[in-house]
Amino acid sequence: MKTTALAAAFAALFGGLVGVTPAIAEDITIGAVIPLSGASATTGKDQSRGIELAVKQVNANGGVLGKQLKVIVEDSGGKPQTAIDAAKKLVSVDKVPIVIGEYSSGNTIPLGQYLVQEGMPHINPASTSGLVRDIGATSYSVVGLDNVSTEFAAQDVLDHGWKKVAVLAMNNAFGQGVAEEFKKHFTAKGGEVATTVMYTIGQSTYRRELQQVEAAEPDAYVFTAYGTEGALIMQEAFELGMQEGKPWYSILITMMNKDTPAEFKKGLIGMDVGYIGEGGDTYKTEYETAYGETFLSAYGGYAHDAVLFSAAALNKAGSTDKAAVLKAIEDLGKEGVKGATGDITLDADGQRTHQPYLKFKVEGEKLVAYE
Amino acid sequence: MFQFIFDALIRSVDLALIAVALSAVYSLIKFPNVALVQYAVVGAFVAMSLHTAGLPLLLAGLLSAFFVGLLAVVFNILVFERLLKVDSAIALIGSLALSMILSAVFLLTYGPTAYRFKLEVTPAMRVLGARITDHQITTLIVTAISLGLFALILFRTSLGREMRATATNGVLAAATGIDTRRVTNVVVFLSGMLAALGGITLAMRGSVSIDLGTNMLLPVFAAAILGGLGNALGAVVGAIVIAAAETVVTNTNVGPLVGEDLYFLPASYAPVASFAILVIFLLFRPRGLFVSEVSRV
Repeated sequence: MKTTALAAAFAALFGGLVGVTPAIAEDITIGAVIPLSGASATTGKDQSRGIELAVKQVNANGGVLGKQLKVIVEDSGGKPQTAIDAAKKLVSVDKVPIVIGEYSSGNTIPLGQYLVQEGMPHINPASTSGLVRDIGATSYSVVGLDNVSTEFAAQDVLDHGWKKVAVLAMNNAFGQGVAEEFKKHFTAKGGEVATTVMYTIGQSTYRRELQQVEAAEPDAYVFTAYGTEGALIMQEAFELGMQEGKPWYSILITMMNKDTPAEFKKGLIGMDVGYIGEGGDTYKTEYETAYGETFLSAYGGYAHDAVLFSAAALNKAGSTDKAAVLKAIEDLGKEGVKGATGDITLDADGQRTHQPYLKFKVEGEKLVAYE
Repeated sequence: MFQFIFDALIRSVDLALIAVALSAVYSLIKFPNVALVQYAVVGAFVAMSLHTAGLPLLLAGLLSAFFVGLLAVVFNILVFERLLKVDSAIALIGSLALSMILSAVFLLTYGPTAYRFKLEVTPAMRVLGARITDHQITTLIVTAISLGLFALILFRTSLGREMRATATNGVLAAATGIDTRRVTNVVVFLSGMLAALGGITLAMRGSVSIDLGTNMLLPVFAAAILGGLGNALGAVVGAIVIAAAETVVTNTNVGPLVGEDLYFLPASYAPVASFAILVIFLLFRPRGLFVSEVSRV
């Protein structure tokens, strides 16, 4: 009998607690882990703006499950451990049904792995490494991975009439993914990758690698490179006369364009992720009105869409129950959700199938988007 | 073919100055100073800062080399003289530690990005089918003059005679009235200058980042050991052999072996050549290509 009494006492106590909670439960909260500090803080700021605007939009359209949507934004500091700690807090303290995060693949992957372990829905709003695909069952991406970006690049290169190319990419997870996926798509579309050269980052010269790709005598050179390394590669290609009559094509050109002086990148073209997609003009206008400047990075729009997608999933699930939410995300992935970056549909692995990219050409120092 | 020879020549020039510096210091104080590769990076960074500040390149380079020479002497007096009193192995570990500290200082002051000299870059000219750039010619000239002057000091001056005497038998040299400490510090100073010039010419043709020193460590050591550690000019020959081996690795199309038209080994495999040669020489000819006064490596 004593136990019953105790149980009753506990029940009363918890009943009392439950009785208090509805005041907090007015809102439906989801979590986001983004780099508000550290090397990628600018992108993180852009992401947080995208999230803010998305929350406004969702709540203006009736909110989620009849309540107001709220996003708890945690700082990852650009570090994997901090990102995981933030996610733990979101999952165990805030008890959010969905976590969005992070920016760079090196943080998104461990963050996602933790969430997958917990069986939590994870939405990747920015990382494009092919390794993101292997995070696990409950992880989804609203940004296209390197298989999507290289397909666009392969088509773009072929459209320029270059059938035989040499590929130059850095020898890390990102570069390997890009090189492999590009070759796959380019060959499937009828082109020929004469040679692929992977270079080690941080070298003081890339002449050896350049001479190796040159030996393939391609119609064009396709490469991807980070900032100052891309600049050195372009300078040495210029010195070696490899830019004379041979076009150069940069995959994710915004990574290296700023660091490269105009004289070494004459005629350079390339591609990068698009800031907004079809139907994203409203978002652009709202952004510029709210913050008085243009986009800080390409990734605010994707963070925005991650929130829209999450809100739609919760509405579709009809509750914040994990299983129901996961089911709703799968279904939504097939149906598609309209976001600022265009129509978002997911493949069988939960990765975005199509997304907007921009073609860029270099004019003097600047990059100009063209059709 | 001429392109191959030229690539190998340029690569050996990359290594030669630092390898000669390493070997020269070894001949006197009997320990290989790992930090020398970082002195090269200091030289490149300082020259670049001076050049950016508006000094002409030649002046910036010379000032920087002079500064690094002094720095090498300071480190020698503050650190290595004391460590050497204990043991040369301790001094070697000490130089590794100093090398890491310098690397960390570069990271703090310059960050992880690569820097380039703001120099005019012109397309390469063709000589017998090989492409040669202006900066490569400059590098060849700078290296030839530096090594020539160093050889002149070593073999044609009384200072050089004192250096050789100290290297051969320090105690005996001291007994004949040679100030061996002064001689050692002069050689350390010259080695700092050579290393700095090596770093500057490398940076002139590409870029300098904090990784430069670490990347140079192995091939430079291999070249110095090949030439017979302590045999300063032997290191030049060592550099040529290492450079030729590396160039064979990176310039040979091994496509036919793997069933493709065109396949090159990644350039990051080049150090494999240095490693292999280093191991073979340590096993079979630890005194290097030439017989020198050094009895062990």
